[in-house]
Amino acid sequence: MSELHLSDEILMAFADGELDEPIAAAVAKAMAEDPGVARRIVDFQKSRRLTRSAFSEALTPEVPPALHAAVSAQIEAYEAKERRAAHEVPRRVRSRARWSGLPFLPMALAASVAVVAAGIGYWAGGQGSQRTDNLMARLEDPATHLELSRVASGDEVDLPFGRLRVISSYRLGNGALCREFRLTLASEAAEAVACRRNGWNVTFALVGDAAADAGYVPSGGEDPMAAYLQAVGAGTPLVDEAEAKALAEAAR
Amino acid sequence: MPTAIGQELVALLPRLRRFALVLCRSQPLADDLVQGACERALANADRWMPGTRFDAWMFRILRNHWIDHLRRTRAEGMAEDITTQTQLIGDPGEGPILSRLVLSEVQRAIDGLPQDQREVLALVCGEDLSYREAAEILNVPIGTVMSRLARARRRLVELTAAA
Repeated sequence: MSELHLSDEILMAFADGELDEPIAAAVAKAMAEDPGVARRIVDFQKSRRLTRSAFSEALTPEVPPALHAAVSAQIEAYEAKERRAAHEVPRRVRSRARWSGLPFLPMALAASVAVVAAGIGYWAGGQGSQRTDNLMARLEDPATHLELSRVASGDEVDLPFGRLRVISSYRLGNGALCREFRLTLASEAAEAVACRRNGWNVTFALVGDAAADAGYVPSGGEDPMAAYLQAVGAGTPLVDEAEAKALAEAAR
Repeated sequence: MPTAIGQELVALLPRLRRFALVLCRSQPLADDLVQGACERALANADRWMPGTRFDAWMFRILRNHWIDHLRRTRAEGMAEDITTQTQLIGDPGEGPILSRLVLSEVQRAIDGLPQDQREVLALVCGEDLSYREAAEILNVPIGTVMSRLARARRRLVELTAAA
């Protein structure tokens, strides 16, 4: 068995409980056999105790009010930031919409969400795939717009490229007529809003799997469509005669 | 809702002040250091995992902040009136068994140590951190921690033996 050199560091580590078991056992044995070794270990224990006492005495539990206030303020600022981050809404969509100022749009940010501004096709958070491009183009298709002027809410109609279902009609604060609708193509569907002003202008679109069927609800649990409608001040849906009248007026 | 880090920070302030004093040897500067370190900690809050040792993490930030301060001011250390430090011992009325005289002597002996030995002593024996934690805070190998610590403690025993 090799000789263990009992350096100060090893004896100190033993006194501090920092040694691994096999070496600690060897030191304990040496301590039992050699008073000189024991003495050195005891001294390390003593210096630790003395230091501990001196440091305990140096601890003042009372923190100066100025320091306490400063740190508390830092913490409050930090916690406020954390709270805001938890409810984060993205900034204003930078769009060239024909009416200005799209308000805050809570976006669930699943990969297939796109926001279309006034037919220019500004994408936010979208994966621009070929299919999606096609889908977005169909939202602007004259055939789609023709049906948007006619079809009552709750009705569906077949188009050459897919199926259109109109969901509701709304008036904005400025009196403009908007319609929420779903356009389903072979493998993709979009839920969109188009508003009437010199023709139908698509102002909002959500693109998701056709399999998502009864309304696209992103994993975050938010409903972007509902949030958008609320953000633009859509109000309660127009129904029956009021809707028919609005559509007739809009067609002129 | 209060965050874990906010609560930990407030609770640690007295110990932070104590270690800051070991570093810079001036109470006003120590409090400035503590304030700056708290700001840094909150800015990097995502680097601390709740449930892990907050004090070791925080001491490291404090010491790095001190090193940055040194670099900025190009100071070699603050000249410190020893009597200011002994005042910090305060009233030993509720203190440990050691007499006031002995405590002052120990404090003086500690103050007389070289800075790097005093820092190691403060962290391991004052704050009860492990050799490894002290090594990470001071950014030196564990062997260096151990040799400085052993030297410091041998000296302490020598200085206080003549009591």
